[in-house]
Amino acid sequence: MKMATASKSKRTGKSSAPAYVPPKKLPISFTVNGQEVSAEAPAHTTLLYLLRDLGFTEVKNGCEAGDCGACTILLDGLAMNACCALGVQAEGREITTVKGIGTVDNLHPIQQKFIEHGAIQCGFCTPGMIVAAKELLDLTPNPSRHEIKAGIAGNLCRCTGYVKIIDAIEAAAEELSSKKGKRK
Amino acid sequence: MRGFDFVAPTTISATLKAAKGRNTKFIAGGTNFLPDLRHQHDGPAKLVIDLMRVSALQGISSSKGQIKMGALATMTDFLTNKIILKEAPILAAMSEKFAGPIIRNRATVAGNIIDGGPAADAVPPLLALKAKVRLASEKGRRTVDLDKFLTGYRQTAIRSDELITAVTFPSPGRNHKWGYYKLARRNAMAITVVGVAVVLKVRRKKVEEAGISLGSVTAAPIRCYEAEKILEGNVVNLELAQKAAEACAAVAAPIDDIRASAEYRKLMCEVLPRRLICQALDISQDND
Ligand SMILES: Cc1cc2nc3c(=O)[nH]c(=O)nc-3n(C[C@H](O)[C@H](O)[C@H](O)COP(=O)(O)OP(=O)(O)OC[C@H]3O[C@@H](n4cnc5c(N)ncnc54)[C@H](O)[C@@H]3O)c2cc1C
Ligand code: FES
Ligand code: FES
Repeated sequence: MKMATASKSKRTGKSSAPAYVPPKKLPISFTVNGQEVSAEAPAHTTLLYLLRDLGFTEVKNGCEAGDCGACTILLDGLAMNACCALGVQAEGREITTVKGIGTVDNLHPIQQKFIEHGAIQCGFCTPGMIVAAKELLDLTPNPSRHEIKAGIAGNLCRCTGYVKIIDAIEAAAEELSSKKGKRK
Repeated sequence: MRGFDFVAPTTISATLKAAKGRNTKFIAGGTNFLPDLRHQHDGPAKLVIDLMRVSALQGISSSKGQIKMGALATMTDFLTNKIILKEAPILAAMSEKFAGPIIRNRATVAGNIIDGGPAADAVPPLLALKAKVRLASEKGRRTVDLDKFLTGYRQTAIRSDELITAVTFPSPGRNHKWGYYKLARRNAMAITVVGVAVVLKVRRKKVEEAGISLGSVTAAPIRCYEAEKILEGNVVNLELAQKAAEACAAVAAPIDDIRASAEYRKLMCEVLPRRLICQALDISQDND
């Protein structure tokens, strides 16, 4: 069999690329919002791409570098940036996206307060913001405004100027703690 | 770097075995790995080894005055772990200023040390605490002073088949004094302009032992030996604090970049150590 010879491009002086070999795919399974999912993907696929390709497009792609927080999810209950992990690292783990926090017919108080307070404009940051707020309120049920700001420090919003987001999280915290109080 | 293979061992020995091959690379929290993967189109790795399932690399413990942090200890652990909060609160103070809460959940101590950059924030406090890095490979184990481990700009003494298993430091004692400051352009998600860490063991008003270090003003964070010596063995007053601060500024070799000028950084390498030493030792300062 005749091998393709690498020819040098006159323009760049670089040899032409070797024949394309599709990367090996690895099997991956995990749960998203309680639902079991399985996939096959090359090892370099980020968890962000994997989730979006599987249809979980509520996980947003803002920067792919850990800077914006649009891709925030919970992995085994801990908030993380889906763009900062390989999909294969999620094997066997439990993932929660904004849709696992509350659904359209059954909104979580954080989601309800975001709507009531006008904390959503274009909405691109919202899925990540709500997941970050969920972790914050789980850890700090009655946060000060300063604590709220620190809690969403990894989530950028280009629209709202943050004030309404902070108002919404504050209101959600009040509602959640009054509910808890009643239950007791 | 595309088309690599992937393994996720659960024990240190399986990890070291995998790391023996050519062109292997570890991944821990991924907060440097993934942005790097995105930005460098062609990296060397053939096999990526996930460390996140190796339970022996997790946890923080204390025994006989030595604190041991597994390589996978995260910045969030520094903010919540009881041993750290009691024995080395400087690490919690550092972590509070590190990135934001979501990155802190994943960013590991070993990943930060391997980052090796001038602005690796966990490094100055660890230098001031006189930390050591524990390394393992199939050829054996060794322990290196963190100070010696950092060999230059984004360079460390690690070999390609070696794994950081833990980072240790002697407890500075219940009554030690400390100060940390991260000077940056924002309160969160910011790259350090100047980082300063001060750890002082004080006995009968005398500074018995000092650890002082700077970040972001040399190729890698640096310990200020001269400044430490100036304080050690003395009842420190404003004049000595000033002398030590000047010795800090003397080792700083900052550069101009988009965040600050070299001139400003140099000045801050004097102002901040003096302020931290004075605050730690309750010395009143007239001028700031
Ligand atoms: C948005 C954002 C903000 C950031 N802010 C800060 C900040 O404020 N301050 C700061 O200092 N850093 C910051 N970083 C950088 C990064 O988060 C830290 O350096 C972090 O500690 C890296 O740890 P990791 O576990 O994520 O490393 P990974 O990305 O998993 O790995 C990084 C490197 O370390 C190697 N490695 C990891 N563990 C080991 C081990 N046990 N033995 C040998 N090699 C190992 C890997 O092979 C890889 O080369 C930020 C990053 C992002 C994306
Ligand atoms: S897309 Fe992950 S942090 Fe921006
Ligand atoms: S609502 Fe548009 S980015 Fe936040």
